[in-house]
Amino acid sequence: MAAATSLTTPKLSSPTLQSLYRNFPIAIPFYSSFLFLPKTLSSIPPRRLSLSPSHLHRRLFTVRSDSDNGAEPARRYDFDLFTIGAGSGGVRASRFAANFGSSVAICELPFSTISSETTGGVGGTCVLRGCVPKKLLVYSSKYSHEFEESNGFGWKYEIEPKHDWSTLMANKNAELQRLTGIYKNILKNANVTLIEGRGKIVDPHTVDVDGKIYSARHILISVGGRPFIPEIPGSEYAIDSDAALDLPSKPEKIAIVGGGYIALEFAGIFNGLKSEVHVFIRQKKVLRGFDEEIRDFVAEQMSLRGIEFHTEEPPQAIIKAADGSLSLKTNKGTVEGFSHIMFATGRRPNTTNLGLETVGVKMDKNGAIEVDEYSRTSVPSIWAVGDVTDRVNLTPVALMEGGALAKSLFLNEPTKPDYRAIPSAVFSQPPIGQVGLTEEQAIKAYGDIDIFTADFRPLKATLSGLPDRVFMKLIVCAKTDKVLGLHMCGEDAPEIVQGFAVAVKAGLKKADFDATVGIHPTAAEELVTMRTPTRKVRADLRSEGTTDHEVKATAGV
Amino acid sequence: MARKMLIDGELNQSNEQESHYDFDLFVIGAGSGGVRASRFSANYGAKVAICELPFHPISSEVVGGVGGTCVLRGCVPKKILVYGASFGGDIEDARNYGWEINEKVEFNWKKLLQKKTDEITRLNGIYKRLLSNAGVKLLEGEGKVVGPNEVEVTQLDGTKLSYSAKHILISTGNRAQRPNIPGQELAITSDEALSLEDMPKRAVVLGGGYIAVEFASIWRGMGATVDLVFRKELPLRGFDDEMRAVVARNLEGRGINLHPRTTLTQLIKTEDGIKVSTDHGEEFLADVVLFATGRAPYTKRLNLETAGVELDSTGAIKVDEYSRTNIPSIWAVGDVTNRMNLTPVALMEGTCFAKTVFGGQPCKPDYRDVPSAVFSIPPLSVVGLSEEQAIEQAKNDILVFTSTFNPMKNTISGRQEKTVMKLVVDAETDKVLGASMCGPDAPEIIQGIAVALKCGATKAQLDSTVGIHPSTAEEFVTMRSLTRRITAGSKPKTNL
Repeated sequence: MAAATSLTTPKLSSPTLQSLYRNFPIAIPFYSSFLFLPKTLSSIPPRRLSLSPSHLHRRLFTVRSDSDNGAEPARRYDFDLFTIGAGSGGVRASRFAANFGSSVAICELPFSTISSETTGGVGGTCVLRGCVPKKLLVYSSKYSHEFEESNGFGWKYEIEPKHDWSTLMANKNAELQRLTGIYKNILKNANVTLIEGRGKIVDPHTVDVDGKIYSARHILISVGGRPFIPEIPGSEYAIDSDAALDLPSKPEKIAIVGGGYIALEFAGIFNGLKSEVHVFIRQKKVLRGFDEEIRDFVAEQMSLRGIEFHTEEPPQAIIKAADGSLSLKTNKGTVEGFSHIMFATGRRPNTTNLGLETVGVKMDKNGAIEVDEYSRTSVPSIWAVGDVTDRVNLTPVALMEGGALAKSLFLNEPTKPDYRAIPSAVFSQPPIGQVGLTEEQAIKAYGDIDIFTADFRPLKATLSGLPDRVFMKLIVCAKTDKVLGLHMCGEDAPEIVQGFAVAVKAGLKKADFDATVGIHPTAAEELVTMRTPTRKVRADLRSEGTTDHEVKATAGV
Repeated sequence: MARKMLIDGELNQSNEQESHYDFDLFVIGAGSGGVRASRFSANYGAKVAICELPFHPISSEVVGGVGGTCVLRGCVPKKILVYGASFGGDIEDARNYGWEINEKVEFNWKKLLQKKTDEITRLNGIYKRLLSNAGVKLLEGEGKVVGPNEVEVTQLDGTKLSYSAKHILISTGNRAQRPNIPGQELAITSDEALSLEDMPKRAVVLGGGYIAVEFASIWRGMGATVDLVFRKELPLRGFDDEMRAVVARNLEGRGINLHPRTTLTQLIKTEDGIKVSTDHGEEFLADVVLFATGRAPYTKRLNLETAGVELDSTGAIKVDEYSRTNIPSIWAVGDVTNRMNLTPVALMEGTCFAKTVFGGQPCKPDYRDVPSAVFSIPPLSVVGLSEEQAIEQAKNDILVFTSTFNPMKNTISGRQEKTVMKLVVDAETDKVLGASMCGPDAPEIIQGIAVALKCGATKAQLDSTVGIHPSTAEEFVTMRSLTRRITAGSKPKTNL
């Protein structure tokens, strides 16, 4: 990994990884935080690390992170920081902490594509069971749509392209193996001690990993979450997203239970790979919490691509037939003949068997660890970041929390993660990108708002003849002209929204958007050329205005 | 487009002082700038006429068409062909994602071209409707300036009509130029390239500008052998040098033969195609030779000299910051003024013109931080200053952040092609002076970054934005380590 510090390093599959890479102090001549080397650095004895856990056990050279106010008696610990869980948040916090001069250990379960009480893997959910493998499957499944589109552009396939699931799985797993290796190297290069095994907290400064005891000045819990399947009769036949990412064969006909982003992403994946897909949701609409118009739009587009939605139809039981096929019994009847039934019914923090109750770390009713704004738990020496705290469960947020924690603890810069205007994406097909408030939230918070929408057929669709459309929406504060929210569903939405997220986060106004010249011909230019509000919502008189549906093929002359 | 214009009419201005003119505004040329100016002026209450030549996909002195270069012979048909060509690479990439694709994949150029022509014909119709809905009178024929307030339109049948107008706006755009070499008549320009009967198997493209690299990418993506011949060391003069090198590498990676520091000396027609000779003594045979050697303002037949409208040495109409020529009642917008030849800029100029002249709000187009894109495969998109420009203009040290990476999609497809992103930052103020990217989706990604740049965003503001994971774009908000610092007062290195 010597090349890792080179700035021309090939991008690791996950951009996160890449950013992780970049912060080895040696490689960073500039990043300002590194200019202020922590005082502790000078007090660190030369490290002769033998990485075998037996040597680490009660190591002699112990380092004490200072920054103490003199009140605390000088107790010696094996590590300044012991992190339980090497996912996005844990790795980021550990690596940064080590870069700031502290001695850090991190423990993680052995690698497996499917997580359990005994398996996990360095990289965590994002790299092994989430963002990365999911996106790879999205890429793969999206080709079927591209083949269809290409017909409209003059391409013809003598034989319809067929998908081979095992090739995809093999290539995906090779990539995951490569990534988990890279993550391990990142930790190693940052001088973070990696311990394989299950960490359990014994007391506020002690962690037990499979019988070995380590002491630490601070303990960080970043064990993430896991899919949750509600108990109904036959739920043992259901698979979760972990399994769905690594199936031995492609589902012929799959039921996906749930209306959240995971459900929609998998519905798109399997639909693209030509499985018959049924989605069962409890509510009237998919994606609770998203902007209402986006919720309607994405469901309509997905239906047009062949996914069948069963709304207000929660599951009651799964029945396995003699031929091995599965039936899903719901409040409305029974749908038969599924090869797979997947539950995407939420995720729960992984807080069982961590010893949290024993040391008195408070959790909420869902089992999430309660933390303050600095990610500190009810036990002052124990901290938690990422999905285990169930704040905003996104990789980049875990990274932000991990980075902030390392700064707070080891750089003497108390830093709170900033949760304002966090953009996010749903990699459904078509995908969604969004940042800021939904219309409903904006009305609640600001009362008077102006809504700008565009709902158009993109240039590509006019040629392909497919019913693809793009929906965009800007929510603007009527009083201040500030853009409060931006939502898009359509091709490239996640890529398009990122740059606009900078603008929304910076508090820019609609006038600033308007002053920006478009890039022609793109879909994104529509967001800087929305001249007339679709409707104005006023606290006193309800909304007025109309939406129109026109073709977008050329610049709005 | 259509959706917007129907709504934003705010009738106003009862300046009926002396309407002894036929029109308040007469516009010559119904391209992006002309249509925008007409429509907005009409919305402000002006009485507007616009003249344009009859529709034809290939422009000449007698044909053109409502919609102009962008819609009929530029952005739109070009992008359609780029979409078509991109599938070539997609099909290759799909294999490692598990797709079994028969070796025999056919591409039918004629079908695509027909659909392209259908589409631009449809758009031509939409544009005409836009004008009539806005109450703009459309006249078909060739317009000429006769005097400060007088225009003559030669109709298709040769009859001439005269109109008087309080203001005249010239928005006739520009035309492709041809270098004067022996056999030049055997070559085509981009107009014809967008309407070829057959797909070339062997194409030679002369030029290093965006049009040249776009067509090279188009034909290569469809499977042709492509030779790209250009004078400089790298294509895309005027863009950031580092990004130019990236584009060159990617074009080569996609199988285009690059011939830098080379020009063509002659073309000869042979049995087997056009024999193309270079100044390096190379010869190749080609089915099509494309000249993409620049475009010149289309002012020749407008009778401007007689009317006293000043032109510059390239034939472009000279205008002030409000797009006014030296004759106070005559104005010009778009490529005919050769300021910044982009559709959205022509739109901006057209809007400002209408506001200034009929909206009672003097308004100058703002040319700062205008983003743009080159739809090569993969595309390049930029906003703000290149590194070289920043070094030249800045008083402070310049910080350069670059990121070169293998995009996630390539980890499985196996495509060997790096995406490159770059930020140029003022070390003192932390302001982001320029952003550029070469890689898939670059134009879509840069648009939002352009909003931030336009409003003077700092690097710290980019850094404080949370990424969208996993995307390519998130790289722009996670570029933490400095690639290099350039001390104020250094000279930009080279002019490649």
